[in-house]
Order: sequence, then structure tokens, then C-alpha cells
Amino acid sequence: MNWKNVLLLMSVNRKSSRAMQRDSFRRYRDSKTVTYVLYGLACLFGILIGWLVGSLYTGISDVAVRDSVLQGATYLFISLPTIVLLYGVVFTQMNQFRRIVKVTIQPMYWLPITWQEHTLASVLTNMLGAPMLITVFLSSAILVASFYLGLIYLSIVTVLALLATLVLASATTEIFKTTQIRLAGAITRVTGRAAIWLRLAASIISMIIFYAIYYSIYNQATPILLFEAVAGGQSALWFIPYVWLGMALSAFANSLWAGTILFSLATLMFIVAVFLAATRLNMRFGYEAPSIRISSGAYAPKVSLFGRLGFSPPEVALMKKDFRAITRRHELMFIFILPISVIIMMFFTTLRYGGSIPAGGSALLFALVTLLPGVFTAPFLGVFIMGLEGENVWYLHSSPLSAKTIARAKYFFVVIVDLAVTLICSVVSGIFFTPSLLLAMVILVEAALLIFALSAVSLACGFRGADYRGFFPVNRLLKPKWGLLNFFLCAATAVAIVAPMIPYALSILSGSLPTSFFSVISLPNYYVYAAMFLSIVIAVAITYVFRKLVLEGAARFRAEAEGI
Amino acid sequence: MAYSFAAKLTGVSKRYSDVTAVENLDLEVKKGEILGLLGPNGSGKSTILKMLLGLVKPDSGAVNVLGVNLMDASLALKKRIGYVPEGSYVYEFLTGLEFLDFAGDVFQISLEEKKKRIEEFLKALDLEGRESDMISSYSEGMKQKILIISAMMHKPELLLLDEPLNSLDPKSARIVKNLLRKLASQNVATVMSTHVLEIAEAICDRIAIMYEGRLLALGTMEELRQRAKMPNSGLEDIFLELTGTGDVKPIVEELLR
Repeated sequence: MNWKNVLLLMSVNRKSSRAMQRDSFRRYRDSKTVTYVLYGLACLFGILIGWLVGSLYTGISDVAVRDSVLQGATYLFISLPTIVLLYGVVFTQMNQFRRIVKVTIQPMYWLPITWQEHTLASVLTNMLGAPMLITVFLSSAILVASFYLGLIYLSIVTVLALLATLVLASATTEIFKTTQIRLAGAITRVTGRAAIWLRLAASIISMIIFYAIYYSIYNQATPILLFEAVAGGQSALWFIPYVWLGMALSAFANSLWAGTILFSLATLMFIVAVFLAATRLNMRFGYEAPSIRISSGAYAPKVSLFGRLGFSPPEVALMKKDFRAITRRHELMFIFILPISVIIMMFFTTLRYGGSIPAGGSALLFALVTLLPGVFTAPFLGVFIMGLEGENVWYLHSSPLSAKTIARAKYFFVVIVDLAVTLICSVVSGIFFTPSLLLAMVILVEAALLIFALSAVSLACGFRGADYRGFFPVNRLLKPKWGLLNFFLCAATAVAIVAPMIPYALSILSGSLPTSFFSVISLPNYYVYAAMFLSIVIAVAITYVFRKLVLEGAARFRAEAEGI
Repeated sequence: MAYSFAAKLTGVSKRYSDVTAVENLDLEVKKGEILGLLGPNGSGKSTILKMLLGLVKPDSGAVNVLGVNLMDASLALKKRIGYVPEGSYVYEFLTGLEFLDFAGDVFQISLEEKKKRIEEFLKALDLEGRESDMISSYSEGMKQKILIISAMMHKPELLLLDEPLNSLDPKSARIVKNLLRKLASQNVATVMSTHVLEIAEAICDRIAIMYEGRLLALGTMEELRQRAKMPNSGLEDIFLELTGTGDVKPIVEELLR
């Protein structure tokens, strides 16, 4: 193992991660101070927290309480490796994922560097950032606190265990990375087009599992109960190598030296085995990513759904291309995941009420589930839809596409996707929350108005603020100041359109809220229709103005091809 | 529309901040001609191609393409031009077939015609069997083939090709060369930039040698030989002589020291 190579590769990997956040590289200098200052701050913060905990502990005079705190601290130390393993896997995966999305992580296998060195560099790089910051914080906190608690030896062993756990988590991530690429390739070859949806479904399932765990912890467990549960779970699952470090700590805390040595050595061997497995996988599959085949059988061009809606062939071509972009590009999948996460969160929230949701709450949930996904998606999709052209934007410039064609295709694509999302959400929430016909109509009309207006607002910002630079130095799709402007404009637009409906919403909600909080509001029957009319007028005016700006933006885009 | 030249640049200049990309250029491209643009990096070749397509506006001078002044150019003109840019930037999340289908729709080719041409081109350029793979998994050469097909499938009257044969395998390069010659015989003009002097020598009717934004020489191979006073030389020697970059011996010796 050539450690110099490992350090050089780590330096390259670290800089590539930084490349994602920087605008300019021309005068880029690596500052060691900036690199390490965060770790220093985490350490200082940990020392402060450890001192606070220790001071609080020494201030306790009740022996029973002191024993209880000591017991809790021991549970915490014993369970920390497993907790660090969980967040370590998540954060190292995120680091890996960021690098996959933003910059290439293809190992430079043609250089005189061994696969062991490549793998070790990748494992160590993934540990940098959030995983290491949290570990530094935890380590310094427990070391300082343990002086007061009288658990110095246990805390030192715990710190060593945490570092080993982090290496284990990162090496596991390395295995995940290679198998993911390999599996995705294999699945894609077999299932073709379905693989794209499989990828999306996997993301959604992961999110549901994550939220379910979060929900159960949030609703049921206090921290001490959680630590106890984790410590108990470790003992029950002793045959799983990932909890052996926790077992070693548990044995150490109970002065079982044979168990301590046995589990520590076993863990060490397991870490080496995981690392070797990661290296072998990289050697086997690390050369190039497999191709993705979208098997579509014999080529038979036909008029698509968009074509049947009356759009011209160039408009349909652009809309089809954009649809494929948001369903196939990793970094754009959040557009689909966002509305689904809103629905999932709402349904988990309803679980708290069991089967008895108050009438006002039911109306509110119906409104939120119907409105939020589509209305949240519009500003994102609208503002990114031009930037996602990236370096391929030359094709739009060199093609016989008029400004009007581009503007129409982009605008109606955003509107159609958002309307489809809203329609699906309204059907799902309608089944669950059974709103009145009037409420359903009001919400759907408001949703449509918001979607038409917000799509125009965000697309106008998207045309002006699009960032077409590709993957290097940064692929951010949008200039930040336009993202900020889009946020404020969309928020103002949404408030303006919904404002006339606020009294109606309060009248529905006030019936189910404590009267001390809200006095019951009663409105004349015609109010809702008058408010809806006002909403329509406001939405049409905003949409009209921003559609003009969209057309202007498209015309400017056509005229300003230089520098592309 | 009747026009005497496929393209004509008169007194054209273009600067990017303090860099002169093209300086006072006069150039005519005849109908059915293959004109090669030669020159070192930064000599203005790509800028000329972009000006002919209307992507870059000249600071001064006039550009006339297919009988239309570029200042008055409409989208209809772009339908008559095929363009391959330098660098294989294609929508990588599409398959080759989907990209060609997209290009066919953008240029408004009928469904039957589109299917016929795509299938013909895919077969001719050995892309059959890989057309349903995502472009992200294509080699540079395959991406280049897709771009060349997309530039040719709508039967343009003028082809603007920026380093078109880069990364192509010998068979595909030969097919593209033959295709260009065939199109030239059908009055389709081609302006192509290249660094590969053998290609320029083999297929270009005339060659324009650019250096630091200026047109150093223009003519057939024979005319260039006469101009350089190198009667039996190949294009490489002529190019190095005319651009004054021929004395590479000291550099090589320094590198080998």
C-alpha cells in the first residue's frame, strides 16, 4: 500500500466534492485552515457540551438520580457504535451519491495506482464532512463528560470504536456503490424501460421506510428508552457482525475481558473482510459503468399523447424530451419524489388521529394533499426546465425552433405535469378524506389557478436565470439569485391568489378548533363564489403578465446564442 | 430560392473581449462544394461556422447564407442547414433512437420519412443494435455518428461540420466522407473544420487556412502548393509553411533532452 497515493487520491476526491459548490476555479487555492476549521469547531462544541453535561451531573445531589444518569450514559456509550453505524452509512452514501450525481467517480484505473489504494482513498474520503464532523463532536463530548462521570476508560474505548465504526460504514458504502451500479446495469439490461421506474420506486420505498422509522421514534421513544432499546437490540442480534463493536463495549463496561477481546478482534477481522470485498468488487466492476438499454422493440414513430392535445411536432418533441429528462436524470427525480413525500407525510399524520379525524381537520388534510404536491412542483419544475438543457442547449439554438414554440412547449409541459400530479393527489385524498362537493371544487379550481400562474412565474425566472454550464465546474441548472427571486415571487403569487379564500378556509376550520382560539366565522353562502371569482381574476392577471415575460425570455434566449 | 453562393462572408470581423476571433474575412462557399477550414486552435474556425448558422453575430461585415442575409434570417433558413458542433454534446438521458426521433420532429420530417431515414442511417453507420441504449453509454465516436445523422436526416442544403470525423472508426469515417461527396454531387455545400490534414486533402474541393482569425490562404490543393512554392508537398508541410509554425525540430529536441 502506497500511502502517498492514497493521500493524493483523497485530495483529488475532496477537491472534486468542493468543485460542486464553487463558481470559479481560475484562482482556486486549497486552504488548509478552511478545510480543518469545521472539525476544530465540532471538537470545541463537543468539549462545551461535555463540560455542560459534566457540570450538571456534578450538581446532582440525589444518589438515585446520579445512578440513573450514569446508567443512561453507559447505555449511550454502548449503543453509540450502532447509532454511528446507521448515520455513517446514510451520510457516506450521501457523500457518494453527491459525487456520482455531480462529478465523475470513475477511478483513474489507468494510473499506476492499485485497486486497494483506490478503494481505501474512496472509503476515507466518504468519511470526511458530516460523518466525521458528527463523530468528532460526539467523541470530544463523551471524553470530556466522562471525566465527571468517572467513565474515562469506557469513553476512550468508545471513541476508538466510533472511528472503527465509521470505517466500517464507509467500506460498506463502497460495496453498496459497486453493487448498485452493477445491479442497476443488470436490472436495466433485463427490464429495459421498467428500470427507470424501478429506480424511482426504490427511492420512494427508501423514503417510506425512513419516514416510518422516524415516525415510530418520534411518537414512542424518549432518548434513554431509545439507547436502552438499541443496547438491548445489539445483544439480541449478536450474530450480526455490524453490532460486534457494541457487544465489545458492552463486555468492556461489564468487565468481561474475554468477551471484549473476542468481539474486538472479530470486528477488526470483519472490517478487513469488508474492505477486501469492496476492493474485489472495484477490481471486477470499477472500470466502466454498464450501458442502460431502453428496449423499445421495432421503431415505429407515432403521434403521442401531447400531439393529440393539439401541440405541434416540435413542441411535442421538446415535451417528450423534458419528460424523459425528469424521469431519467437522478438529480431531477426529486421533482417526482417531492409530491409523493407530501402525500406520505400527510397520511402518517392522519395515523395519529386513528380513525376519528375532526371535520375541519379532514378538510384541511384534503386541501393540503390536493394542493401542495402540484403547487410545490410547479415552481421547481418551471424554474429548472430551461437549465436542465445544460450543454445541450446548442441544439435549441441551432434548430428551427421559434421563441413561441420553446415557450409554449416548456410552459405547457410544466402545467400538464403539475395538473396530472394534482389530479392523482385529489383522487387519492378524496377517497381518504371524503370532502364535500363544494370543497372539492374550490380546492381543484384553486390548484389549477395556482399551477397556471406559478408555472408562468417560475418559467419566466427559469428563462432569465438558467445556468447551462454542464457537469464542470458545477451543474446547478439555475443561477442562485434567480432561484431566490423565484421563491419570493412564487410565494407572493400564491398568497395573492389564495387570499380571497382565506376567510372561507377559516370558516371551515373554526368549527373544529377551540373557540378560545377562533370564534366561529360564518360567511354568506355566496361568499365562496365571489372569492373564487376574485381568485380567478387575480390568477389570470398574474398568468397573463408572466406569460408575456416568458415569451420575452424565450425571444431573448433565441437572440443570445453567443457564449453557448 | 435561387442563389449563386451557398454562403458568402464579406468583410466579417468578430472579437471576444480582447481576443480577435475573425478579422476582415472574405469567403465564398460555392454550391455543391466541400470547403475545409484548417487552422490551429483558436484560429477562428468554429466562430466562422457559428456565424454561418447565426449563433454568433459578426461585429462588422455581412453574412449571406443560401441567398438570405443572416440579419434577416428566419427559422426557415435553419431548416435548410445541418450542423454538427465541436464536442459531442447530446442529451445523454435519451437513447440514440429517441434523440434522432426528437431531431426529426424538431425539423418536422413526416413520420414515414423519419422512420425510413433513421433506419437507413443507423444501418449505414453501424449503429444498429445499439440504438435503444442510452447515449450516456455511447463512446465518443457513437455520439458523433448520432450528431452527424441528426444533421443530415432533414436533407439540408448546407452542412456546417465542426471536426465531424473526430473519434470515428475508419469504416464510419469512410462512409461519412463518401456521403459528403455524394451530397456535394447533389449540390449540397459543406463547410467543415478539421485538424486532420489527410481528411481535408482527401475530400475537400478547396481549403481555407486560418491563422489568428485571418484567412492566410484559400484554394485547391494545387493552388495552395503553388502559393507555398512547394510543388510536391502534402498539406501538412504547406500548412506549417503558411502558418509559420513549421519549425518544430528545436521543440522536439528540447522535449527529448
